[in-house]
Amino acid sequence: MVASPQHEFETQDLLINVGPQHPSTHGVFRMVLTIDGEVVKDVVPYIGYLHRGAEKLCETMDFRQGSGFMDRTEYLAAHNAELSYVMAVEALAGLEVPERAQWIRMILCELNRLSSHFMFLGAFGIDVGVFGTPFIYAWREREAIIDLFEEISGDRMMYAYFRPGGLAWDVPLNFKERVREVLKSTRQGIKDFDELLTQNEIFRARTEGVGTISAEDAIDWGMSGPSIRASGVPLDVRREEPYLKYADVDWDVITGENGDVFDRYYCRLLEMRESVKIIEQCLERLESGIIVPDKMPRMLRAAPGEVYIRTEAPRGEYGIYMVSKGGNRPYRLKVRSACLSNLQALRQMSVDQYVADAILVLGSIDIVLSEVDR
Amino acid sequence: MNNSLFGFEINVWLDALARLGLIVGVMTVVAMGLIYGERKILARFQQRVGPQKTGPFGLLQSVADAVKLVGKEDLRPNAADPWTFELAPYFVFIPIFLGFVSLPFLLDVNIRLLELGLLYFIAVSSVNIVGWVMAGWGSDNRYAMIGGMRAAAQAISYELPLVLSLVTVAMLAGSLNLKDIVEGQANVPYVALLPLAFVVFFISTLAEMNRPPFDIPIGESEVVGGPFVEYSGIRWSMFMLGEYASLWILSVLTAAVFLGGYSWPFGEDFGKGYQLVLMAAKSGIFIFLVFWVRASIPRLRIDQLMSYSWKILLPLSLVQVLVVGFVQVYELPDAFLTVAGVGGLLALVSITGRAVASSRRLPGAARTMRSEAV
Amino acid sequence: MTTQDLTGTIWSDVDRALSGVTVRAERGLLDLIVYIPRDEVVRALRALKRDAGVSFDYLRSLTAVDNEDEGIDIVYHLYSTAKKYNLTVKTTLPNDDLTVDTATAVWRGANWLERETAEMFGVRFRGHPDPRTLLMPEDMDDTFPLRKSHPLAEIEVLQGEGMGYTEEDR
Repeated sequence: MVASPQHEFETQDLLINVGPQHPSTHGVFRMVLTIDGEVVKDVVPYIGYLHRGAEKLCETMDFRQGSGFMDRTEYLAAHNAELSYVMAVEALAGLEVPERAQWIRMILCELNRLSSHFMFLGAFGIDVGVFGTPFIYAWREREAIIDLFEEISGDRMMYAYFRPGGLAWDVPLNFKERVREVLKSTRQGIKDFDELLTQNEIFRARTEGVGTISAEDAIDWGMSGPSIRASGVPLDVRREEPYLKYADVDWDVITGENGDVFDRYYCRLLEMRESVKIIEQCLERLESGIIVPDKMPRMLRAAPGEVYIRTEAPRGEYGIYMVSKGGNRPYRLKVRSACLSNLQALRQMSVDQYVADAILVLGSIDIVLSEVDR
Repeated sequence: MNNSLFGFEINVWLDALARLGLIVGVMTVVAMGLIYGERKILARFQQRVGPQKTGPFGLLQSVADAVKLVGKEDLRPNAADPWTFELAPYFVFIPIFLGFVSLPFLLDVNIRLLELGLLYFIAVSSVNIVGWVMAGWGSDNRYAMIGGMRAAAQAISYELPLVLSLVTVAMLAGSLNLKDIVEGQANVPYVALLPLAFVVFFISTLAEMNRPPFDIPIGESEVVGGPFVEYSGIRWSMFMLGEYASLWILSVLTAAVFLGGYSWPFGEDFGKGYQLVLMAAKSGIFIFLVFWVRASIPRLRIDQLMSYSWKILLPLSLVQVLVVGFVQVYELPDAFLTVAGVGGLLALVSITGRAVASSRRLPGAARTMRSEAV
Repeated sequence: MTTQDLTGTIWSDVDRALSGVTVRAERGLLDLIVYIPRDEVVRALRALKRDAGVSFDYLRSLTAVDNEDEGIDIVYHLYSTAKKYNLTVKTTLPNDDLTVDTATAVWRGANWLERETAEMFGVRFRGHPDPRTLLMPEDMDDTFPLRKSHPLAEIEVLQGEGMGYTEEDR
């Protein structure tokens, strides 16, 4: 049989299953790609592999236990997760947080942002295909920060250090020197990454113009954090509705222009410099004082009511919606996950890109599956 | 019929057998040494220590790995095509070994000096891609299939610039005999006359070996090992052995055809020890470069890889062939070649930079935005 | 339509945007809370998004609260990137008809949030484009974990005999 020239060569789309056990899904995330040759035609994400019912469990935990449990929902930025929770409790219970505790909270949250972004840079380096080097560099810097957290709270990842009203205990005496020491290595680490990745031609060729999302779409999908700022939307809770002492320090909101993978990467890198700036100012203004209110009730009870607290975690807006009907535990707790909303836009960003780019897009929104699934 | 081996007269068949045993033995040891070297060198690039527990300085790490791999179960997926799947490692392994036959290690130290040695080498070195495609197709795994197809596409693209850059060498030497090529460089190595051809050759060998930044077929973060994804134990280790064997072969070939092999500098014979040092140093430089690239450069995307080969490397190597022919026909001085080569190299760099820049779909980078508050 | 004093809040702007909608407002701890009947809620949300005076273009969060006998509240947290306004919209669904129109037509980002709320509370979002489960297994459509009637203790039964607490331990 001779094929007639009119007869079109038939091609078939291929379904490939990426995850939940795949080196680039950053945890137990699964997506089914429909590919035509090397081009992604459709993406169907599946989540829920790490769902532990955090919201339901928190209804049974009192306020001190709850703040510790928040660490488990966002293990790469546990301080930031705790902060939302304790702020919600403080709002409902009417607690005033002392100055010193607020400054320390701010320092630790920004340090946590640094460590989380280092984690992103390292993992992203692997996604782009550098064998291990950025990962180890990032790990080295993150290690210094984690060591500091361990000195302060006694744990490397699950700190449970922020308590409703203030802090669990005061920081060590050499806190300021240690933070400055860590910042020194951090600054060098940021510079290393700038030289290793940002200035690499292949890295630029791989990331620029890939996986773009416009500002309108990003807002419509409810994206937040560096992922939306890369599209040019200066949406940063720290600036829009300053909490802690963010209104008192001088820093910039970093925004991108194109909303592509490179901008999402570079926004994070520049944001780290801002974090260093914030911490330095905090250190200057940190004075001795009390770390919990004088009139701290023995048994913490919240007034009936509801509050939605949002803070700017490394991955975006980490919100806690807490409903209280009196008593020492929340009636309903909702964790607003930044990653969940960012992940919704994955399909729009990866369709019509190459398979390799779909992996980069997923890496660039920096998901933590424990926060997505809760 | 008798042949001479190390000065002994032995039967032709025994001779063949002895030489075969020699290749396999030496090859395995060298490949294991290369694996150890790569791990140590990469570790240094990444501020790690590398293997250190097995034997002095971890020297026995490769032995331990080999024992472990041999001891592992040789798995075959149920749905895999048994013949294709199980024969694929041999199709990768044997052509690479065949490449050894014509290599001029030292003066008169080779398996068999072939009159058309270079041609023979080019012929056998491209056969192993059949094995890659077989592995990809036979595994009944979509990652493996994508990887196999990528490998085929890549091999076809990079074979051409590789061969064309070797053609210029053959034109200068006036021979395809590798011994003649080495001895033709007694005064000036061809890298000085053909810098462009050398760079094109180096880039093409990286692609030929599927080494970063051209490790697209095995891209760990996308196709999870590509054709190897379903292999385990001894079959997997044959792929790995093949990979390091081809690294060694190409390093020796580079040393022989571009860096003057055992004859440059001085062009005199100071004995086998001197030749060994020369060859080890020259191929060592090549191998170190390959490791260095692996530690610091991200992976290209498949379309960028193809367009780089077809649109940049191939035209430039064709021009290089023309220039060499021109110089030889009109008997111009050799310095003309060097000047043209350096010019070509500059052209390559600038075209590469421009191509990378134009492959970005949007210009500009992230910018900072100062908010009016503070 | 309110008894509280809402001066100093964004109420006047919101009220203007929501003309023609039955609305009751109250001052929350941080944000203004408005209660809208469920038949009008999506129309109201669309108005809140489109009205230039408020333009709530960003959906922060969408969830539900199980008030047992009083039904289930659906809670929308809105934000306006232009005006920097925050607003909480609540609507109550009676227990005998847990249905509300979908907000995905207003914000695409409501998609997964509604899927999660639907599987956790057994609320049906009418017209949802993709009504599969999100976090729960696909066949888990008869039990709603975040309802107050869903016992936390059943997990212990699943752990098998001899594990977890028995009734006497508790």
